[in-house]
Amino acid sequence: MSTERRLDGAQQRAEAPASPAPERTDVGLQIEHVSKDLGGRTIVDDMQLEVKAGELTCLLGPSGCGKTTTLRMIGGFLIPDRGRVLIGGNDVTKMSPDKRPTAMVFQNYALWPHMTVFKNVAFGLRLRKLPRQEVSDRVAQVLELVGLTHHVHSYPARISGGEQQRVALARALVLEPKVLLLDEPLSNLDAKLRVRVREDIREIQQRIGITTVFVTHDQDEALSISDRIAVMSGGNVEQYADARSLYREPETTFVASFVGAMNSYEATVVPGGLELPGKLVVPCDDLSATGDGTFEAGVRPEDVHVSLNGDGAPADVVREVPRGHYKEIVLNAGPNEVRAFVSADLPPAEHVRISFTRALLYRDGVLQRSSAPVSV
Amino acid sequence: MRRRELREGAQGLLMVLPPVAVIAVFIGFPVVAAIAYTLGRAGGPNSVVASLGQRQFIVQHGVTLDAYRDVLGNKTIHRDLWATVWVTVLATLVVVVVSWAIALYLRLADTRLARIVSGLSVVPLFIPVVIASYAMLVFYSSDGFMRSVAYHLGWHSFPTLGFTLWCVFLAEVWVNIPFGVLMMSSGLNGVPNNLIEAARDSGASMPRVVRSILLPMNVIPTVIVATFTAIYVLGSFTVPYLTGPTAPNLLGPSMSNFFSAFNQPQQAEVLAIVVFVLALGIGAVYVWANVRTGKRSAVAP
Repeated sequence: MSTERRLDGAQQRAEAPASPAPERTDVGLQIEHVSKDLGGRTIVDDMQLEVKAGELTCLLGPSGCGKTTTLRMIGGFLIPDRGRVLIGGNDVTKMSPDKRPTAMVFQNYALWPHMTVFKNVAFGLRLRKLPRQEVSDRVAQVLELVGLTHHVHSYPARISGGEQQRVALARALVLEPKVLLLDEPLSNLDAKLRVRVREDIREIQQRIGITTVFVTHDQDEALSISDRIAVMSGGNVEQYADARSLYREPETTFVASFVGAMNSYEATVVPGGLELPGKLVVPCDDLSATGDGTFEAGVRPEDVHVSLNGDGAPADVVREVPRGHYKEIVLNAGPNEVRAFVSADLPPAEHVRISFTRALLYRDGVLQRSSAPVSV
Repeated sequence: MRRRELREGAQGLLMVLPPVAVIAVFIGFPVVAAIAYTLGRAGGPNSVVASLGQRQFIVQHGVTLDAYRDVLGNKTIHRDLWATVWVTVLATLVVVVVSWAIALYLRLADTRLARIVSGLSVVPLFIPVVIASYAMLVFYSSDGFMRSVAYHLGWHSFPTLGFTLWCVFLAEVWVNIPFGVLMMSSGLNGVPNNLIEAARDSGASMPRVVRSILLPMNVIPTVIVATFTAIYVLGSFTVPYLTGPTAPNLLGPSMSNFFSAFNQPQQAEVLAIVVFVLALGIGAVYVWANVRTGKRSAVAP
């Protein structure tokens, strides 16, 4: 499926723009100050997001954070109370789903059980009254893309969950939309299949270069396939960044606790490190900020250095959890619980010394930054 | 092992035996006896009724179809049969269409009016058929409400529907609408929203969603409503007896006339078997539709 052809189809599908704004080819999707109330509750609150053309963005967040509502507003299944949704620079806020240049893959695939795989995929093309041969060719092409050529005439109930998921993806891709929307498409698959299918989705997305919004509450999923991730909470975006930035420099304590494991303490900066509750001073090489008063300190388990002896604060080993090529150690350092990821080769011990290689300092839930990382 | 299986099998058989025996003795046996009577066998359990009945076709050995020839060659019965068929087909058609329309509205509209319609649509379920039949007459007879209102409005030739097949048809529709709406609503509510949304997302308008998604996915409830309504109307007695004309009327009252008024029990039983065969044909459609859908939705082994 060539990129030119995909864009041609998407342009055919899109109706005339409702606003005269010139099309920005570098921006696939814009969400401008969008809000939505449902059942008297604000689900999405003044949200802003910009997805570059060809980019895969994940909306990541806990249940009820507004990620699916946002996706449904992009797809046209919900109309925002306030704000605008723009696709390729065109305002599609009030357009019904059948008029939008989007295609959605639903959580439970939403395949029509009375239609074969072929008919499911061909449905949208037939609505566009394309010649029969073209419909056949395009369906064959997209089924080949998702690796499902052997189930063309099967009914959905006769194929596995993973295959159904691929049919749903094929059905969305065959319409050559400008924006592909995926609503937790892997949540019904078992763990192993989930990993394989998400890699397939990413590979297909990159191959055809389609702008994609992927909703998930699974941080592993988001971190592994996204170009950028929008972490949502309370109907708004807490942080929008690439996977590495999100993990290494979470802007808020919510993001820090939601994405990956994080040790959190009330701490004060002292010469040489951090003072944790119990007047325990733990050496720290790298602090995100410095200053007087109490901070909320966040330390990733891999940033906890554990040694059997030498410098560092004393800690008692509570338990060790093997994790394959590394192990997780739960420690008591004074009144503080510390989780550390260490080498699987570290010999078992009851008493160890700990130090932090890096700590993020938050005040009022927001990351405090000095202009340059602070070495203490 | 084998002995244990046999014992368990015997236990299972013993448990189902009482209801099967009741059906066999109180329903199966009279049915077999009635079929034998229609074929000219008047002995055994048929001897009493045969000793009282008139215009019977009896044989001592073998069977005869003379009773069937007599009934099916009767022009009055032809008219009754035709009346039964058209009232059944029309009532079924209207019940299916109206139930579909109401159920579709209830499925797609989430308004206060929809909730009121939903409640009203099942009201006939709680009104006895006898009452509903008399209500029809109060409305549609020559001195009924509708004609009176029409007369006062200057329409003096408003048709009298009471004691006509049209009144039978209207009453049958009234009686069967609640079942139709309940079945259709249940079927349409079983179609997940995301299947509708997926179709909309693919570019389908709402009428197209109805045609391509809701209609095929609601085939079984539609077939159930159609077949059950048809069978109900086909074998109905109270409604046509109370609201219908003297002749031609549906086969139910006709059967009753042959049995009691004309004292021709053999002909009445022939009519019963004719109705049964028609119902069997309708039932076959129901089974066929179920099997077809079952094959399609069978889960991968």
